[in-house]
Amino acid sequence: MNSVTTIWKKELRIYAVNPTAYAFLAVFLFLAGLFFYLGVTLTGEASLRVLSSNLAIAELFILPMLTMRHFAEERRQGTLEMLLTAPISPFSLVIGKWLASVTLCGLMFVGTGVLPIILAYYGDPDWGVVFSTYVGLLLVAGAFCAAGLFTSTLLDDQLAAGLLGILVLLPFWLISRAEALVGDDLALKLQPFGVLNHLEAFGRGIIDSADVYYFTAMTFTFLFLTYRSLESRRWR
Amino acid sequence: MIEVSRLTKTFGPRLALDDVSFTIQKGEIVGFLGPNGAGKTTTMRILTGYIPATAGVVRVAGYDVFDEPYEVRERVGYLPETPPLYPELSVGAYLQFCAELRRVPKAKRATVIGDTMERVGLRGWESRLLGSLSKGYRQRVGLAQALLHDPSVLILDEPTSGLDPAQLAGIRELILSLAGSHTVILSTHILSEVDALCPRAIIIDRGRVVAQGTLAELREQAPGGAWTYVEVRGIDGPRLGSLPGIAQVEPLPAVDGWDAWCVRATTDPRELLATRAAAGEFQLRALERRAPTLEDAFIHIVGREGGQA
Repeated sequence: MNSVTTIWKKELRIYAVNPTAYAFLAVFLFLAGLFFYLGVTLTGEASLRVLSSNLAIAELFILPMLTMRHFAEERRQGTLEMLLTAPISPFSLVIGKWLASVTLCGLMFVGTGVLPIILAYYGDPDWGVVFSTYVGLLLVAGAFCAAGLFTSTLLDDQLAAGLLGILVLLPFWLISRAEALVGDDLALKLQPFGVLNHLEAFGRGIIDSADVYYFTAMTFTFLFLTYRSLESRRWR
Repeated sequence: MIEVSRLTKTFGPRLALDDVSFTIQKGEIVGFLGPNGAGKTTTMRILTGYIPATAGVVRVAGYDVFDEPYEVRERVGYLPETPPLYPELSVGAYLQFCAELRRVPKAKRATVIGDTMERVGLRGWESRLLGSLSKGYRQRVGLAQALLHDPSVLILDEPTSGLDPAQLAGIRELILSLAGSHTVILSTHILSEVDALCPRAIIIDRGRVVAQGTLAELREQAPGGAWTYVEVRGIDGPRLGSLPGIAQVEPLPAVDGWDAWCVRATTDPRELLATRAAAGEFQLRALERRAPTLEDAFIHIVGREGGQA
């Protein structure tokens, strides 16, 4: 646990001085504001319903860009060699990095906290729904960060790793909109694998254990793949 | 302290290390010498447990690198070929991170970091960003990182590359000061480095240990052993070679109009040459006995001058 904290602190410290992180943070906050404005003006509801699914898609494009550095850059600058010869397990390394990325996402969501406050000023939002929406978004962030970390172990070039991360995640979004491509029957069968299908209930104030399980499973799968990929690269 | 036995490493079809064996005693400083691409870095990476061996046994500080990696890692300080630095962090923040990573107890951290910085000549550099440091200072931070947890074994991959002469002297002094209390293995392709630091060297080429021993032992492996340098006038090569006891003469570049020769003989030919010159057979300006250099031995052992594999 100690070594996880060490890695976590180091990653946050580097995020804090990384201009790329700030650029993507700004993009994310801009998109959040835009979706919020459109959602509220189009539906006339004092809710984050429209915001939630659109932000999940924004996360899909932005989070791999935030996590792409992790292993690709460590490998390029030779620091991975130091980390993997230090008395810490690769597992704590992966977890520390993942926690730091999720922490950053948390801070990003705090930045969007002004939006529900605006809602409360002009209307009467359901705070339970606001809370569950954020829980959903954070679960999505956890899964997407794990996927981004995984692709970061695969390629030495960080930008390529980031783009590959987006590519890996795209099917999880598009699968929810597959009717035109594969027909209604198959689309219905595929829907349980779509991110948006599982996020939907959170936007209505329902935290369903099946949805929580879906995102947790996705997170663990990608973290496990990250760990395995890190280990296997040493054998080549 | 370090035992390597029948170590083999393949990368796909390429054989990087072939049946490498050597032992390093506690407190020794040993040079790991070889041309570029000989397998130095691969060996060091296996010693530190960064990459696994294909076959063979490696024990460091009494522990098997493969079976007890964490025991080994706690006792090893490692400076990779490129110092492992985060350009975004300051020297102080970086060493703080390394101390945590290396489990230096919290109460001792500040003292340990301060002492180590002092040792490698980094005092007053805490707030400098690593990304802004020159190569020499990056190397110092890399060394500090390897020394922080006071490891009993130090594995240094080209520790003095990129240093200017003044820094070089400082780092060499530091490495020498570690002898006795620490076991040091350092790789290099700079021969003067080994001469200055290591009583003993292991020469590796194309993945094989081609020679090992004290520097004196290695020098003896140079072809022909000691030789005599002469500068003469009024005598040509064949005549010089026909003098009694002279086995071989090789021309060297002329100096100020004097012919220079490398003379090899069965016994020390200096007395003979001086007597003959005094008798007026030829003019003699320089007469000097020269021991073979490590470089001669190295080129002979490796079979070619440095260069690529």
